[in-house]
Amino acid sequence: MHELSIAQSIAEAVEARAGECNATRVKGVRLKIGEASGIAVDALTFCFEMVASCSPILTDAYLLIDHVPHRAYCPHCTREFAVLNFVVQCPTCGTWSAEVISGNELDILEMEIEPGTQQR
Amino acid sequence: MVKVTIAQNILAANDTIAREIRQQMAEYCVRVVNLMSGPGAGKTTLLERTIERLRDSVRIGVIEGDIETAADAERIEATGAQTVQINTRGACHLEAHMIRDALADIDLAKLDLLVIENIGNLVCPATWNLGEELRAVVLSTTEGDDKPAKYPQMFALAQVLIINKLDLLPYVEYNLEKVRRQVLAINPSLRIFEVSCRSGEGLDAWTCWLEGVVHGGER
Repeated sequence: MHELSIAQSIAEAVEARAGECNATRVKGVRLKIGEASGIAVDALTFCFEMVASCSPILTDAYLLIDHVPHRAYCPHCTREFAVLNFVVQCPTCGTWSAEVISGNELDILEMEIEPGTQQR
Repeated sequence: MVKVTIAQNILAANDTIAREIRQQMAEYCVRVVNLMSGPGAGKTTLLERTIERLRDSVRIGVIEGDIETAADAERIEATGAQTVQINTRGACHLEAHMIRDALADIDLAKLDLLVIENIGNLVCPATWNLGEELRAVVLSTTEGDDKPAKYPQMFALAQVLIINKLDLLPYVEYNLEKVRRQVLAINPSLRIFEVSCRSGEGLDAWTCWLEGVVHGGER
């Protein structure tokens, strides 16, 4: 259930940025979540709704999630491949020297604030 | 509608504190290990045996993370090591701010190595950076030999795996080779130690390596 901690971290970061922008209301938040980041997106959405409902600025804010696939780069084949079940073997040459290039993302990209609020 | 770019890691606040901890540890020349496992794999027993064996060469301090009770801190304290207990009261993992607060009760000038024993949980602790230099995961032969494939993230992010309770191999269905294959498929550079904290088997290899990390900067 670490999604609750993640949801609280998102709310704190967004509230801080909203404060800087003198925004009185945040309509939504867009995230980038990697496939290998260990986050259960349904649980995160549920927790975020709960956390947001306790914040006057975030009440009813939507959560939009960009999913990033788990991918690696094989230096031998000089090509990328999709990582399945965290196994980092190159499907083409069979070597184990691939480097993970995406899938660990846990980022807040942007937020949408209500018109009329001042952006600094 | 107005869109405002945020572009920051969700855990940026945690990572900032983790960086401060790492810097503080570098100033005191203290190496930090984040020790993780499911409940009951033997983290605390491994620590007891490790502290006993390295008593004359490595000054070890321990931050004990548990949801409730000071039972583990009491066990570690009995070895003479500096110990602080964190009780998360329900939280499933440790976060960097908890470590920062616990460090107020530790005399870093008297340490070579700080071990953070995370909450017994093979999932959530992997996400939080605590300012550690090394992540060590403990598995045990009583947990079943399919755990790395079922909980891959923990193994993908670790540098060291200790497989404990080797003495129980005759009594359990546990295929060591299958476990080695699974973890190395997830993390080919993972260093593996196979030990029994009860019989002492394999512990010298682990403590020798750890001593090398602390005094020789080996990785």
